[in-house]
Amino acid sequence: MAASTAAGDAALLARLQAGDQQAMASLFDRYSGIVYSVAFRVLQDSAQAEDVMQDIFIQIWKKPGAFVSGRGTLGAWLAVVARNRAIDALRRRRPTDSVEDVVLAASTNLAVESERNVLMEKVRIYMHQLPPEQLKTVEMAYFEGLSHSEISEKTGDALGTVKTRIRLALIALRKAMHRQEIPDPAIQGEAK
Amino acid sequence: MNAHHISEDDLLLYSLQSLSAGQTAAAELHLETCPECSRNLSEISGDLVLLSLSVEPQPIPSGARERFLKRVASESQTAAPVGEFTAAAPRRQPILSDPPEPSRVIRQIQPRRSWFPVLIPWAAAFALLVLTGFLGNRNQKLSELLDIDKGQIAQLSAQAGRAQQVLDALTAPAAKSVTLTEGKQTPPPSGHTSYLAEKAALVFVGNNLKPIAGDKTYELWIIPEDGRAPLPAGLFRPDDHGAASVVLPPLPAGVPAKAFAVTVERAEGASSPTMPIVLSGAAGL
Repeated sequence: MAASTAAGDAALLARLQAGDQQAMASLFDRYSGIVYSVAFRVLQDSAQAEDVMQDIFIQIWKKPGAFVSGRGTLGAWLAVVARNRAIDALRRRRPTDSVEDVVLAASTNLAVESERNVLMEKVRIYMHQLPPEQLKTVEMAYFEGLSHSEISEKTGDALGTVKTRIRLALIALRKAMHRQEIPDPAIQGEAK
Repeated sequence: MNAHHISEDDLLLYSLQSLSAGQTAAAELHLETCPECSRNLSEISGDLVLLSLSVEPQPIPSGARERFLKRVASESQTAAPVGEFTAAAPRRQPILSDPPEPSRVIRQIQPRRSWFPVLIPWAAAFALLVLTGFLGNRNQKLSELLDIDKGQIAQLSAQAGRAQQVLDALTAPAAKSVTLTEGKQTPPPSGHTSYLAEKAALVFVGNNLKPIAGDKTYELWIIPEDGRAPLPAGLFRPDDHGAASVVLPPLPAGVPAKAFAVTVERAEGASSPTMPIVLSGAAGL
């Protein structure tokens, strides 16, 4: 499935090169949800989040060659680009990177909506298994765009503590995903 | 960041876009030539995908898809299909070869009835072509205007971003404000004022200021060049490190300053300075 959807993404991008608006519509239908959700999480404003989403997809429309398969999967790439652009909007600054600059080692495939939803549910569960202070710190860094020192100042935690918490949170998430010991959401609910 | 490789912490900050501009530039320079750091960076960025995926799914706003596709259509500036106008070649009208009509009345009327239907599609096609050309031309002009506007917006955004950066460096709570002195002596209280009279723009930054009682405040004054009464230019209280700032207080435009002064006043401020003056400086030439 992953290979076929990746091939599907590649085919859509190839059609974009030829100016195929229907292919753009398909790509939008496939990934607008995740891009918008990430932008909304950062900006907490639907109009601004839509602006970010439109700008990202328009950039793909204008430069479909900007994404190459060596940079990870298209969906994962868009999920990170959405965060970066939303943070730029939050800070009211010009985009700090071109979308071409983001390179991912992850092979996370997000092309199929049902698989994406399952994966997102898993990640949310893993996230909420983190110690609260780690969760809070990593969310401040990622979704609020605060630097380590800004977090340190805001929370009163030592700078080293902030760095450690973010590092540990990312390591824990990475390990959890690699282990694929996926907790069953239903069981989790019953246990509570 | 060491001389050889970028630390994991800095790579994380880089991928979170949280490094300073200088550090970012240095990191990019290094990443261009270091496959190992580039690989580590892509690993970290891969982890960040998981954070993006932790968001609650949100439905995209109603009409967002249509708005986007409309924008795509306008961005692509594709020419309108012309097939409708060219595919149907005009049929030769067999008027001249028609057999003569038996009735005189019919023969007189026939030419009018046969030419009229022929001319209508051609006239309509011509009108549509003219309209298409006109709309295409107008679309082109609007696109050019839009591009110009976008350029101006980008330029203004860049200027605003730069101005905000300067302001943040001067006044943000997280900004490190340090007074450099010779040797190890404790720096005395000091203030620095930048004032542009014609635009009524003033920025004051104070350092090493003494703590002040809760019912008191520092007040900045402009001493006008023309001998008028001192003009209040903002109240401020130092933070724990003795730093304070006044940024763009409401001032009348066009009041050249001879000097600036700081006094201690009641918490609500005063309309004329109370002695003694704790900080002062002549505007000079």
